[in-house]
Amino acid sequence: MEKFDVVVIGGGPGGYPAAIRTAQRGASVALVEKESLGGTCLNCGCIPTKTLIASADLFWRIGHAADLGLAVEKAAFNYAAMAERKNSVVSKLRSGAQQLLKWHGVKVFAGAASFATRNRIAVAAPGGAEPVVLETTDTIVATGSDGVMPGFLPKRSRVVGSREFLDLTQLPASLIVLGGGVIGCEFACLAAQLGAKVTVVELLKDILIMLDTEVRRELRRHMEKTLGIRVLTGKPLEKIEAGEGGVGGMFGEEKLEAELLLCAIGRKPVSNGLKLENAGLQATEKGAIEVDEYGRTKVAGVYAVGDCTAGSTHLAHAATAQGTGVADNIVSNARRKLETLAPACIFTSPEIGSVGLTEQKAQEQGVAIEKGKFMFGGLGKAMAAGETSGFVKWIARADTGQLVGAHAVGAHATELIAEATVAIRAELTVEEFGRTIHCHPTFSESWMEAAHAMRGTRAHQPPARRKA
Amino acid sequence: MAQAVVMPKLGQTVEESSIVKWHKKEGDSVKKGEILFEIETDKAVLEIESFFEGALIKVIVGEGMPVPVLSTVGFIGMPGEPIPAVPAPAAAPELVSDFRFQVPGGGARKAETQVPKAEGGEPKPAGATRRPATAPPAPAAPARLFISPRAKALAKERIVDSANIIGSGPNGRITVRDVEAYCEAGRYAALRITPAAKELAAREDLDILKMNGTGESGRIGVEDVKRAVAMKPRKMSKRRQIIARRLTESFTTTPHFYVTVSVDMTDLMAFRKQLKDAGQAYTVTDFILKAVILSLQEHRTVNSTTDGVTIRWHGPVQLGMAVALDEGLVVPVIRNAEDLTLDELRETARTLAEKARAGTLLPDEMMGSTFTVSNMGMMDVENFLAIINPGEGAILAVSSTKDQVAAVNGEVKVRAMMKMTLSVDHRIVDGSLAAVFANTVGKKLEDMALWKSLT
Repeated sequence: MEKFDVVVIGGGPGGYPAAIRTAQRGASVALVEKESLGGTCLNCGCIPTKTLIASADLFWRIGHAADLGLAVEKAAFNYAAMAERKNSVVSKLRSGAQQLLKWHGVKVFAGAASFATRNRIAVAAPGGAEPVVLETTDTIVATGSDGVMPGFLPKRSRVVGSREFLDLTQLPASLIVLGGGVIGCEFACLAAQLGAKVTVVELLKDILIMLDTEVRRELRRHMEKTLGIRVLTGKPLEKIEAGEGGVGGMFGEEKLEAELLLCAIGRKPVSNGLKLENAGLQATEKGAIEVDEYGRTKVAGVYAVGDCTAGSTHLAHAATAQGTGVADNIVSNARRKLETLAPACIFTSPEIGSVGLTEQKAQEQGVAIEKGKFMFGGLGKAMAAGETSGFVKWIARADTGQLVGAHAVGAHATELIAEATVAIRAELTVEEFGRTIHCHPTFSESWMEAAHAMRGTRAHQPPARRKA
Repeated sequence: MAQAVVMPKLGQTVEESSIVKWHKKEGDSVKKGEILFEIETDKAVLEIESFFEGALIKVIVGEGMPVPVLSTVGFIGMPGEPIPAVPAPAAAPELVSDFRFQVPGGGARKAETQVPKAEGGEPKPAGATRRPATAPPAPAAPARLFISPRAKALAKERIVDSANIIGSGPNGRITVRDVEAYCEAGRYAALRITPAAKELAAREDLDILKMNGTGESGRIGVEDVKRAVAMKPRKMSKRRQIIARRLTESFTTTPHFYVTVSVDMTDLMAFRKQLKDAGQAYTVTDFILKAVILSLQEHRTVNSTTDGVTIRWHGPVQLGMAVALDEGLVVPVIRNAEDLTLDELRETARTLAEKARAGTLLPDEMMGSTFTVSNMGMMDVENFLAIINPGEGAILAVSSTKDQVAAVNGEVKVRAMMKMTLSVDHRIVDGSLAAVFANTVGKKLEDMALWKSLT
């Protein structure tokens, strides 16, 4: 039986950086992966979608190049070629991950892992052969999550999840997206930018309900007015039927029809088959693993990170931070809480970046806040780039001026949010941030302007009207 | 014409009270029925409403000064109206500086460094200054902090507490140099603190050199400051101060002696259920109170008190019943309890408990108890020892009734057992009497014939 200091179960963005960090600190590490290294993020999530979105976004901008004084004859896209490019990016990154693990001396086992005991992990061998058993001191469970495909959906090729959608080599002319969350909205924008007729159906009263209200409104306006997406909210899609030629369903009284239906109603943690009970653990009703603020489960030596944990935000980078944090704690015997301030990035059109408290959250927590907003319309760089819609918004504590939340919607929002995250984590105040020099002309200046907006000292927008 | 506001007389036995807090200041308009001030008697804090409409034009009695009841404490009238002359209220002699609170933490330290100087250096040997035996030790005078304006500004800017700084100037005056030395000694330059944490510390008047940083490389973050804020000494409510004072007085001046007995409540619980099913609901407390009243009539000494020289029997049983509230314990009194039937006792106890929870007990209703019952039965406790209320000779602490294995006539049975611990003033009640009394109460609770005759 092979013995390791640490066994990591799952080779996604939570697992493989944890394995590398542990190995860097001198521990012997095994990583068990039942599918492909890189997990959902690399193989069927973040990376492939962003690759396709890059093509779609450029196509869209070429179509509007006349606004910038460019004459482009007739732009066209080849979806099969786009998909091919995506595959090559994914496989390049996947072999990169494999190489990294090898360089760091992480031993990779292919197969499904399960607990035999708290300190023994069985790796199923192909063809029903005797499983390989690994003995370990500590185990990090990073098994991720899977898209939910509810039973009421017809099992036909016209009904797909995000994973199957990424395997398409041809874009459907019309698409119904079931679920107005992050995944649903990203795919809806992608397809609409390429000219597909898209309808989003969301059961809740708005799409992306966890976001700041103003940000949500801006995105929805853009999706509807600019991209021509129909956004239907507040009711379920019922009587869904699929045939050879298409798929349809009822939204209230209205019949919706399309070539394809993408189901993006949520994700569920993967814990089935882990035999957690052999380690003395039990998953929650939803299949999640409960951990404390150090990533520890109730069983000594067993940790869990990322999407498989209860209360996960389904963010790859959050999983990575947790994985490396747990690795540090295991190897160094230090005890540092895992980072909790995770920014969210949504690659819709326009993009969204968000970190910390929203106005609504602050209200729920009873935190008195003030807010400062700056519209891209007043920004030199935005005008120069022809990207004037969108804004950034700060949320600060009313008493101390501590920055506690930041929200951006518009061009480059997913990049812009990084600076705000650093500021919030460093517990900067509105005043300190406002004094920080920013490059001109850039989009990031808008954070500085938004900070000034809170103190009535911004230069590039009319003074706020005095309250009577 | 200006109306005189007087210190109300709340009950027959209250002779003086002090204003804990004025809710209005001079010049504020006052509506009839609005809360004007809070008063403190030796047992409670009460809010007093205004009988008049107008403006509070004069405050005569400030906060914290005990004055006889019915003294004029202020005037309500029209703004600018002349104020009638009144003799300055005679401060009640005792109690004045009795339980003044010392400034916690920094303040007390300040006093240490300055008081000896004021008294001329060396601390005097004990007994050199004679004080009347009854006078409390003089509390450290509220220390004045001598600090130069520039030093004060610097301390504020650096967010350090000048109370922590030792002054090198005359009279211990703190100079800019002292603040700088303090910062240097505390390695101020190496201190790491986030901007938001600094802002919060400044608002809360904390000393950032006294803070423990748990962030990256010991950096002080907002969480650290919040913890320091939560750890700041807070003044106890007046009610809690009174409780503290009375408990300390009792526990330090009365030699306590304890006796615990177990009572078999099985039959009484069954009987109680039977009564309840018949529409006659009694609480367990009702039975215990009654058993205590009957026992006190048999053992007068337990219903007595001593001052160390004389012993006084109180006569009729004035039965205190402890009622726990969020803001502390109150003990309303059942007057002449032996005159009450079980039903009357139940009604009185219920009314008093309701008033206690509603906060509407008058001082009179909490005075003059001669024996107290404290029932923690609902708190799931095995046993506890209570502190005797000042002015009483004993207290009975009643714990939870629990199913327990017990020997009954040589057989092992499961019985509903309850422990009671009697605390007595050992100066008047001997151990044997305490044991007899505790068992008297216990036996009465087990005596079904008694309860059948009473209900």
